[in-house]
Amino acid sequence: MDNFFIVGGVVLLVLMLLTLYRAIIGPTAIDRLMAVNVIGTKTTVLLIIIGMLFNWVDMFVDIALAYALLNFIVTIATSRYFQHHKNLSPIGFGIRHRKEGARK
Amino acid sequence: MIWQFDLLILALGVLCALASISLKDLLSAAIVFGAYSFLMCLLWTEMGAVDVAFTEAAVGAGVSTVFFLAAVYHTTRTVKPRRRGRMLHKLVGLATAAGIGLLLLSATVDFPTWADPNSPASVYLSPYYITETIPMTAVPNIVTSVLADFRGFDTMFETSVIFVAGLAVLAILGSYGRRQRDYEPSPTGKDVAHQSPIVQAACRVFVPFMQLFALYVVAHGHHSPGGGFQGGVILGASFILVAISYDLRVMQRRLRERLAMLFAGLGVLIYSGIGAICLLLGGNFLDYSVLHTILPATSPIMARSHGMLGVEVGVAFTVMAIMVIIYVNVASHGKSDRGL
Repeated sequence: MDNFFIVGGVVLLVLMLLTLYRAIIGPTAIDRLMAVNVIGTKTTVLLIIIGMLFNWVDMFVDIALAYALLNFIVTIATSRYFQHHKNLSPIGFGIRHRKEGARK
Repeated sequence: MIWQFDLLILALGVLCALASISLKDLLSAAIVFGAYSFLMCLLWTEMGAVDVAFTEAAVGAGVSTVFFLAAVYHTTRTVKPRRRGRMLHKLVGLATAAGIGLLLLSATVDFPTWADPNSPASVYLSPYYITETIPMTAVPNIVTSVLADFRGFDTMFETSVIFVAGLAVLAILGSYGRRQRDYEPSPTGKDVAHQSPIVQAACRVFVPFMQLFALYVVAHGHHSPGGGFQGGVILGASFILVAISYDLRVMQRRLRERLAMLFAGLGVLIYSGIGAICLLLGGNFLDYSVLHTILPATSPIMARSHGMLGVEVGVAFTVMAIMVIIYVNVASHGKSDRGL
């Protein structure tokens, strides 16, 4: 059973790596936000899996719960940010710069 | 410790860290930095440091990214394209950084290996805590007893540091005590009129459960990971959630800034007050075992457990209030009327 959880965790981590690609390259901030959200969800599951591996799930459920509770505050805050500043335009990976609020 | 997880989490963490310092868009950098804190939380959980992981989960996932966002909200998002620096300057900087890095790396060779039973820390101090915590304090979670009892003095000053941080934010940004300044039009010229009813309804259902969970974390810190710091941050985050989903003013009707400041001071007062009561009863400062003379139906051992609960409550008060104060001031640029 331990092997099952280890393999499951590794698969989740590899999927996290793929999502991280979107978080780092992702042209707009919304892409990055979605990617980080997915990473947060995977983190919650991984916390429980680690708890199963340590045979100490009741300890880890608290942390996972805190995560699940707090994970989306950032998402809402960012949405509020875009309600004020409408600039969704891609700002490249340290290459291009565009002024705040500039039209395309 | 599971090496497969270790390797992958560390690799992901390094990638995230590199990305968040090389991104030129501050908003994206803050978001990617959030992902970095998720990964650090996983790493600590995986090494068995559950309490540290919980703090990182509460602070990293809950409030620090929101603070960054609130700060970016009042500045520009992008870095100005700079003139190219002199090549010599870059080389000197790179060489210094690389040299110090190598020096530090060479110092790690002398460190004891991970979980080495013969390392100085595990030879003489840890066994004392591990064997004596249950007989001396009756608290199953050793981290809590070390934090609030054996090293209670450190934690008292940590609480004071958080209090001072809140004071510093108020001193730099706040209009606390001054007359309310006039409203300025928002940067885009539009007022915050349309907020999503879906988000508002969700938060209205959600916030009470969050606060209940926070109280559980504070009270249950003796038996599971958690305690005053984590519970206080979650409690503060619930107020921040109200402020984000409704309005800063709606939140301030529930918890005014003046009241929050009072709570922050009250927390430090509870902590140091318990210490002072111990002094008055003839014990040492923060020696909770003498409290059994005033608490009904306790032994000296249980009194230590109850004393810890008392100081955790104090810590939770301060942390909650300071989180709210920092958010309100950073998000509204000190005007505490509207923001983010």
